[in-house]
Amino acid sequence: MKILVAVKRVPITGGKMVLTEDAQAIQTRHLGFTISPHEECGVEEAVRIVEAQGGEVVVLTLGPAEAEEQLRESMALGADRAIHLVSDEEWDAQATASALLEAIRVEQPFDLLVFGNESADAGNYQVGIRIAYALGLPVVTGLKGLTVLDGRARCEQEVTGGRDVYDVPLPAVVTVREGLNLPRYPSVPAKLRANRKPVDARPVERPPSKLEKLRLVVPEGQGKQAEILGRGAEAAPAVVEVMQRLGVA
Amino acid sequence: MLAVAGALFARRALFLTRLVRAGKPTERLDDIPGRVKNEATIVLGQRKLFQRLLPGLMHALIFWGFLVLFPTIVMALLAAVNRDWSLPWLGSQGWFMALVDVFILCVLAGIALAVWIRKVVRPRRFDGSHLGEADLILGMIALVVLTLLGWHAARIAAGLNEWPASASFLSNAVANVIPAPRVAERVLDWAHVLVILTFLVYLPYSKHLHIATAAVNVFFSRTRRPGRLEPLRFDLPDDELRLGVSTVGDLTWKEMVDSFSCTECGRCQDVCPAYATGKVLSPKLVIMGIRDQLFAEGQTLLAGGDLSPIVGNGVPEEMVWDCVTCGACVHECPVSIEHIDHIVDLRRDLVMMQSSFPQEAESMLRDVERVGNPWGKPQGDRASWTADLGVRVLEEGEEPPDVLYWVGCAAAYDERARKAAESTAKLLQRAGVDFAILGAREACTGDPARRMGNEYVFQAYAEQNVETLNEARVTKIVASCPHCLNTLANEYPDFGGRYEVMHHTQLLAELVHEGKLAPAAGEGEITYHDSCYLARHNDVRAEPRELVAAVGKPVEMTRSGKRTFCCGAGGAHMWMEERGTPISEERVREAADTGAETLAVACPFCTVMLDDGVRSTGKQLRVVDVSTLLVESLEE
Amino acid sequence: MSVLVLIEPNDELSLQAVTLGRILDSDVHGLSVEPAQAPVDVLHVAELGGTYAPAAWAAATVQLVERLAPSAVVAPGSDRGNDVLAHVAARLDLPMAANVTEVRGEEVTRQRWGGTLLEEARLHADLKLLSAAPFAFAASDDASRARVETFVPNFTPADTAVRVVESISASTGGVSLADAKVVVSGGRGVGSSEGFAILEELAALLEAAVGCSRVVTSAGWRPHTDQVGQTGTKVSPDLYIACGISGATQHIAGCKGAKKLLAINADPEATIFGHADYAVIGDLHEIVPAISAELRKARAT
Repeated sequence: MKILVAVKRVPITGGKMVLTEDAQAIQTRHLGFTISPHEECGVEEAVRIVEAQGGEVVVLTLGPAEAEEQLRESMALGADRAIHLVSDEEWDAQATASALLEAIRVEQPFDLLVFGNESADAGNYQVGIRIAYALGLPVVTGLKGLTVLDGRARCEQEVTGGRDVYDVPLPAVVTVREGLNLPRYPSVPAKLRANRKPVDARPVERPPSKLEKLRLVVPEGQGKQAEILGRGAEAAPAVVEVMQRLGVA
Repeated sequence: MLAVAGALFARRALFLTRLVRAGKPTERLDDIPGRVKNEATIVLGQRKLFQRLLPGLMHALIFWGFLVLFPTIVMALLAAVNRDWSLPWLGSQGWFMALVDVFILCVLAGIALAVWIRKVVRPRRFDGSHLGEADLILGMIALVVLTLLGWHAARIAAGLNEWPASASFLSNAVANVIPAPRVAERVLDWAHVLVILTFLVYLPYSKHLHIATAAVNVFFSRTRRPGRLEPLRFDLPDDELRLGVSTVGDLTWKEMVDSFSCTECGRCQDVCPAYATGKVLSPKLVIMGIRDQLFAEGQTLLAGGDLSPIVGNGVPEEMVWDCVTCGACVHECPVSIEHIDHIVDLRRDLVMMQSSFPQEAESMLRDVERVGNPWGKPQGDRASWTADLGVRVLEEGEEPPDVLYWVGCAAAYDERARKAAESTAKLLQRAGVDFAILGAREACTGDPARRMGNEYVFQAYAEQNVETLNEARVTKIVASCPHCLNTLANEYPDFGGRYEVMHHTQLLAELVHEGKLAPAAGEGEITYHDSCYLARHNDVRAEPRELVAAVGKPVEMTRSGKRTFCCGAGGAHMWMEERGTPISEERVREAADTGAETLAVACPFCTVMLDDGVRSTGKQLRVVDVSTLLVESLEE
Repeated sequence: MSVLVLIEPNDELSLQAVTLGRILDSDVHGLSVEPAQAPVDVLHVAELGGTYAPAAWAAATVQLVERLAPSAVVAPGSDRGNDVLAHVAARLDLPMAANVTEVRGEEVTRQRWGGTLLEEARLHADLKLLSAAPFAFAASDDASRARVETFVPNFTPADTAVRVVESISASTGGVSLADAKVVVSGGRGVGSSEGFAILEELAALLEAAVGCSRVVTSAGWRPHTDQVGQTGTKVSPDLYIACGISGATQHIAGCKGAKKLLAINADPEATIFGHADYAVIGDLHEIVPAISAELRKARAT
């Protein structure tokens, strides 16, 4: 099995959104970073499949030089190789898909390509699907369950009232959601080995954007003034009164 | 017979020595003067044993007795070979033989005391110890001194004594009842030698091994910085990495000697807060478990064979996680066993090699690693508590203040712990101290990660913080949190960070002395809870008490100072679930029993844990940091 | 010009998408793959010839687009809506703006970070592909009946290859998080899995679902299915009660669809209070049972 997993470096934003002066990005000076949560589950799933059935997991990212950290995290989880398309700019989903596609074509054939359903920051919901069309592969999205066996993938998607199941032949593209699995906590030797592995890094040029970001805006509603109903257990009657007014009590 | 006994003893001793030499390395040769002092006070002076008066007396009598009686063993062996042989000069000294008689009585008194303790008092600390073995040893000791007495008496009765008989009053008196003296003298000499040789052979297979190893163990135990854990190295090839202890083959030689020195006295078990509140952990059983597994697998270890994991065999897994690293066990141990090293080393393997640890602690580890603090809250919010206070935040490139106030994660992110930081800042401002905080550039010291066994994450933060502090040219630090204090003062030097670190109560006490802060005396009764990391691991006990005395009427709990009882948050337990009775409730009950209305603390973890304990037990106690009491007294 | 709106039956988000459609153009067509009611001018219903297949719906959309030449295709900001619209974008190699809150000519405002941050962007395309951010638009309640036209699209085998083969019903007896009118949610402040008992008690009284924050699922106290957040379930109850939750943006992203938010937290500085309509400051372990007791009392009278 040869599996590709695409990952993205995203900041861990905490409680507030603070923008840079030019409103082009989030102020990340004191923020920690992580692999976008859906994708972390994707890496874990790919590693589990390869542990069970043999093969190789290749992890791919388009991001700044610091994104190497997330590639190494992925390798600590068990990915075998990492490809880094280096760019400091922000790419829209369509352009991202094209860039990833080029790197993927060189490495083809993959049995399975795993993407996050949407990235935690930009939330475009498109990259995996665009790549599937470009490669002419079936795609199932939003997976909470995945079983790969005998050249087929049984895919479970959460919907209202339960789950929808799809069954597709490999090779296929899937996009996954957090909750698919619980990513392992890597051992230190795994981290040390991951730190020593080479990363195939190459710079890429961003084409003009068709969904062109003009600026970021923090929405109003942060900094609401909550009505204090009380302190401690004494607030209970006031709470119930509100509930009655809202029609839920 | 001597040859046979000697050979048996030597074979076992050689085996044990080879094991210790196979132990992993650790640096224990610093501060030789301190180590010698420990030998004198702890071994010769029996200082730690006397932390419990009666058992201490019991042991001291027997121990000192055997120091004095040792030459008589040599004399007995010589006389066994040739009836007329003895030690030159000493053998004829009346005063020496008088001393011998005195100490024979001492040893017998000690044994009587031991029997009384074990059979009448039956303290709970012996739960889990091998009592039968202990009885056997006591019996053999008794036999040794009785045969010695008998032999000396017989020697006098047979007229063979090289020393003036009247000097050895006891032996002389007993001599009157010895039948057939010449025969009896031989019989008793041989009996005495037989008992000694049997004891010699038995010794290295039993817990009595401690008589050989304890003195060694005391010498190599920490003399300074008890709160410092020893760092691991990660810059080694995979097959040379030692990331904690999985099998007996991973133990350091000190850990091996620790396990050989255990006398199963159970004092550690007695003071362990986990054990006291119904958890599985007993520090005694951890060391015994490691020792037994080491004995059982020793040959395999030396032959290079496959070893089984300690956790799950010699030591149950729950014991490893129950520990709060409070150090009460280490403080209590008469032979200077360092239990925390064993437990943390076992944790290190579980966490770093096997990724096996309580799940609820996983987000804490991930948060420390990715975000920079165990609460997972944004680093950018670290200075929010200073909002209206006008506290200076030291930016990059600025001149450092006289004192850097290391706030700690708890005060920055927990609403109950925050008060102490606010109070401390106000007091420092009032006293005109030139201080600043690092704000967002202050990352977790790494203490919770390190105590959990994740040395890797800890070192990453140690290096980062040392770089920040060194670049800022900080030389003096004051910390409110004893865990931060411990790491900054004792552990960061290993990573190139050398600073003068004080606790906020130390700085505040200094300011009160200098008259820069003038608290008003108060009438309220206040009981002060010593934080383990402050009082035990770092010897800060007097200054918080000075501050408490300045603002109220201090009332001490029974378990205070170096013998303080933990609040339950140490060893990363602030982030783990607790089984059984909460340790904090046990401590709150003790505080309430003093009758005081105020429970003063000097640690953010103690603040939160004891406040939780007060809420769940419903006691009428106000948990408050010493700095807040000081502020309140100034504002009156 | 016209606008084509993708419609899911009995779906509030689809009605909101229609509202966006109406803002863009007065001539609103709808396309669904199942019989549905929608306040559009013409509702096209495409026959899939089998179970649900997202690529098929996308193929139908593309064929209808060729016929109608609309200025925009609007999808609901639901999982299926974003999914199908992305298929359409891929087929047509056009840009797509997901979770749009406003449109001003060429410019759109769309959501990032689950809605806790907004992006203003220029869409360079003649055909705008937009999904409507959930609850950014009021549901269109225009009761006028649409003229319904059914059609059978020309599908290639690839269009229908990926389709639902099985539907599994959720076995949980309780109220589903996504549908609940009231959600009682717990965070780190609850302290343990046993601590959730008082939340479950209150939830039972209110016929509410119990949710939790990501910290809670990481600690293993509750399953991931209970997680409310950007990467968990997004809820839109009438009342969301956040107990011991600090208010990280990724959690807020999951519950900002709530009409009203009541935050219960011991820390008066907690970020959640900045997003709440009502606040109670104090220990949730005292407050939550007190609320349950008060509810019982109020019902007894």
